[in-house]
Amino acid sequence: MFRAEPLVKIRLHMLASEVADAALELARFGIYSPARHTPEQLSENPAAVYRETWLEVEARTAKLIERCGDLPPLSIPEGAEAPTLVDLEELNIWLKEVWNTCLAAYDGEVRIAEEIRHLDALQDTLGRLEHLNVDLAYLLRPDGLLAVNIGSLPAPSVKRMGEALAMTGYVIYNFDTIGDQVYAVIAGPRDRHDEVRGLLSQAGWRELPVPPELRTHPRTARAWLSEERQRVEERNIAECAALESLRGKYRSGLDEARLRVELGRPLAEAAVLGVRGQGALASLSGWVPKRRADELKEKLEERFHGHYWLAIEETNRHEAATTPSLVRYPAWLTPFVPLVRSYGVPRYGEFDPTLPFALTYLLLFGAMFGDVGHGAVIAFLAILSSRRLGRAAWLGIAAGSVSMLFGLFYGSVFGFEDVIQPVWTSPMHDPIRMLGIAMAFGVGFIVLTMLVNTFNRLASGRVAEALFDSGGLAGLAFYIGATGGLASLAGAGTPALPFWTLALAGIVAVAIYKWLETDAGFAERALVTTIETMETAINLFANTLSFLRVAAFSLNHVALALAVFTIANGLDTAGHWITIFLGNVVIIVLEGGIVAIQALRLMYYEGFSRFFSGDGHEFVPLKLMDAR
Amino acid sequence: MNPSTAYLNTRVSLFASRLWQAEDFSALLATEHAEMAGVLAEHGLPQLAAGFDTLDNRSLEQRIISRLLDETTVLIRPLSGPPRNFLIYWIERFEIGNLKTLLRGKMTGERPAVILSRLIPMGAFGRLDIEDLAHAEDVGELLRHLESSPYADIVRPARRAFEESHDPFILDAALDRSYYEGLEHRASPLEAAAGDAFRRLMSSLIDRLNLVWLLRYRFNYKLPPAQVYFLLVASRYTLSSAQLRKLAALGSQEEVLSALPESLRGLLAEVNGIPEVFARMEHHTVDIARKVLHADCPAIARAFAYLILREHDLRAVRAVLRGRLLGLPEADIRLAMFHPAAGSA
Repeated sequence: MFRAEPLVKIRLHMLASEVADAALELARFGIYSPARHTPEQLSENPAAVYRETWLEVEARTAKLIERCGDLPPLSIPEGAEAPTLVDLEELNIWLKEVWNTCLAAYDGEVRIAEEIRHLDALQDTLGRLEHLNVDLAYLLRPDGLLAVNIGSLPAPSVKRMGEALAMTGYVIYNFDTIGDQVYAVIAGPRDRHDEVRGLLSQAGWRELPVPPELRTHPRTARAWLSEERQRVEERNIAECAALESLRGKYRSGLDEARLRVELGRPLAEAAVLGVRGQGALASLSGWVPKRRADELKEKLEERFHGHYWLAIEETNRHEAATTPSLVRYPAWLTPFVPLVRSYGVPRYGEFDPTLPFALTYLLLFGAMFGDVGHGAVIAFLAILSSRRLGRAAWLGIAAGSVSMLFGLFYGSVFGFEDVIQPVWTSPMHDPIRMLGIAMAFGVGFIVLTMLVNTFNRLASGRVAEALFDSGGLAGLAFYIGATGGLASLAGAGTPALPFWTLALAGIVAVAIYKWLETDAGFAERALVTTIETMETAINLFANTLSFLRVAAFSLNHVALALAVFTIANGLDTAGHWITIFLGNVVIIVLEGGIVAIQALRLMYYEGFSRFFSGDGHEFVPLKLMDAR
Repeated sequence: MNPSTAYLNTRVSLFASRLWQAEDFSALLATEHAEMAGVLAEHGLPQLAAGFDTLDNRSLEQRIISRLLDETTVLIRPLSGPPRNFLIYWIERFEIGNLKTLLRGKMTGERPAVILSRLIPMGAFGRLDIEDLAHAEDVGELLRHLESSPYADIVRPARRAFEESHDPFILDAALDRSYYEGLEHRASPLEAAAGDAFRRLMSSLIDRLNLVWLLRYRFNYKLPPAQVYFLLVASRYTLSSAQLRKLAALGSQEEVLSALPESLRGLLAEVNGIPEVFARMEHHTVDIARKVLHADCPAIARAFAYLILREHDLRAVRAVLRGRLLGLPEADIRLAMFHPAAGSA
């Protein structure tokens, strides 16, 4: 929980023909993360074509399932084998054929939908053509000198189309607009119609066929339209039945395709990083937890009966930057993990701050927003939304509960300080004490972060940094010494001299370390050492003062409540309670939000930035879809 | 001067020192093979220096565009509103190029992996889900996907035209036209604010495209005047829409060139063929861009001028590297550097 699990590097060599099954076995094992650490001699990627074909199969299967749908949940049989490249290629061809068949059926549906829209448009057109006051039969006769087209084009093209048509002696007359389509009549000399044909294509002109039935009396035309609509609807029913029959016909095949996609996924995903080879030899490389290495050996032996070679190697501490981090958390801690991850992933071997983060974050939130009533509202709302929020609701429940606990300490219920007796004290009654406690908490917190930083540096082999840098033991000695010295000056009753000696020794050690670490000329070295040493001292105390906000917000909470009561007391009974209610809503939403952010800010900037590089990367195991 | 304008001006001035002079190109042509990587690195092109002699044309193009994308990222940092939109749209030309590669790949039935390897990585400027698009079954499906992409406005007219004709030329031409009309639309609010310098740059760019397309469509592809006019960008610059209509109706290349407005007629005097028209007009654009860059012009105009010049330079460097790799004579490389083939978008 405090550190990533120890991992070992594995290299699994086997025949290239068995690599897909090996990847599948590793995915079933569920705790193998692919990575590239194979010998350079294995320079080929034997799974590249496999991955390429798998991607095509996966894309086609996904599209078909989206169209055909209704497949039962996927279950992967225990002994199922991974598809070979040939299997995938055959499946790809079959899927393409199915796609073409389905596409034809789907296009049929689309065409019918278009025909229905077209009939709607014709109906509208008929209504408008009636107002044109033109004899359509005469206008559209094929033997006239005038060539006439009736159709539609995108509205933005109309102006340009008109200008272009004018160059050939044609005119355009718009008689209707539906959506972004303009319906128009184009007319001009028949002998120049060839010049216009290309232009019409270019402009996306869609001819509106005016059937002979429409070139007649409107009443007759309307009867024709009604018959036509009935005919299209009958075809629609037939097409739907055909599509449904196709769905039935291909459903089992698609189910099988989906299974094969899942069985091929491990090798296709591992191919990006963890598969290399040469000739008939292939190698899968990556990371597994050390505690599961023996189990992995047993699984492989059971499956491949010695037809493989497995190399297991301890992780080198110098590889910490490239080794993934696998940390296990108890269920109650998982809602806090995203808050830590939003800062960064702990590097392999580094201290994982999730548990101290969770405890300190809640403590800070409660201290700054201590109120039984407000805490209860937050916890209640979190419980109400637990179905939607999932585990994240626990965050709200925990924050609300801690807020209630501090509310009991402060004796505050919805800002009223006379309802219950404080178990400890109300912040407003002794603000100086609150500020002192906040500062002491800050000192303790910073000491803890510096110890963690020292541990992290030692864990990654940077001993000098751990001992002498400003964030290491020397910096810690200075901080404890200077804090103790200042406390003595402020009358804490402790002897000052040992503290100041410790502080001096610490800061001198930091300065010497900075001097030795700076690679520059004398003057620049002196400047850098002086400035960085001063910065160490200033930063540590600035960071400590930053914790005063914990007391400030606890005071602020009471002050806000007082402001609400002052306004409420100036109003009549109804106004009084409405103001109390609205004021408490504002306090919960506004101050609750601010306090949540401030607590997070303290954790990130005064805590994490001191010891947590956050530049690690997650251990992402190969897994089968039904296990994810 | 507000801080963002000062930042942009300073940035452009700093970047301007990276531009190549004619003598730099001559020196590059004369550089020994062993020293080439060092010379490229000295000129701030470390991306091209590594493995310059083994790169295929596509990798070289990808690195050049990657450089332009990086520099555009820096230039747009202080910008907001129309100037930012304009520069981003200008750089999105390369994504329109990707879009055309996807369409051509689908027309010729290439496998998704092959198509994907040809695309230019657009980094933070990429707005297309290229994996998804490359796995479309055919052009129709690809166009349907694109219609729900950020390029819907560019693709919609092209799709409609393609559905009616199934002609790849019509598709390409419609995409180009829609893209440049979009560019003109985005330039419009800047021309009022950034003044004459910006307008001159836009004018030289759109006039060049319109004239070269007009000559090519009319006299190489023998399209009828009305269709040619429709394929051109609706313009408000030197070659206005009314003038383009008149020019498209003329019967020969010579007639078109002699009917041009005075400023362009002088520029194209005794020109020999469409590639030379393109080369002279591109040279003219480069001249204008240099003047704008070194004059006291609005920052956005200088930034646009810089991007034009930088792209021109990088393409000339590419011509040198490719020419030497193919063992072409120096004269041919010089021709490719300064008279690149008249291209579209």
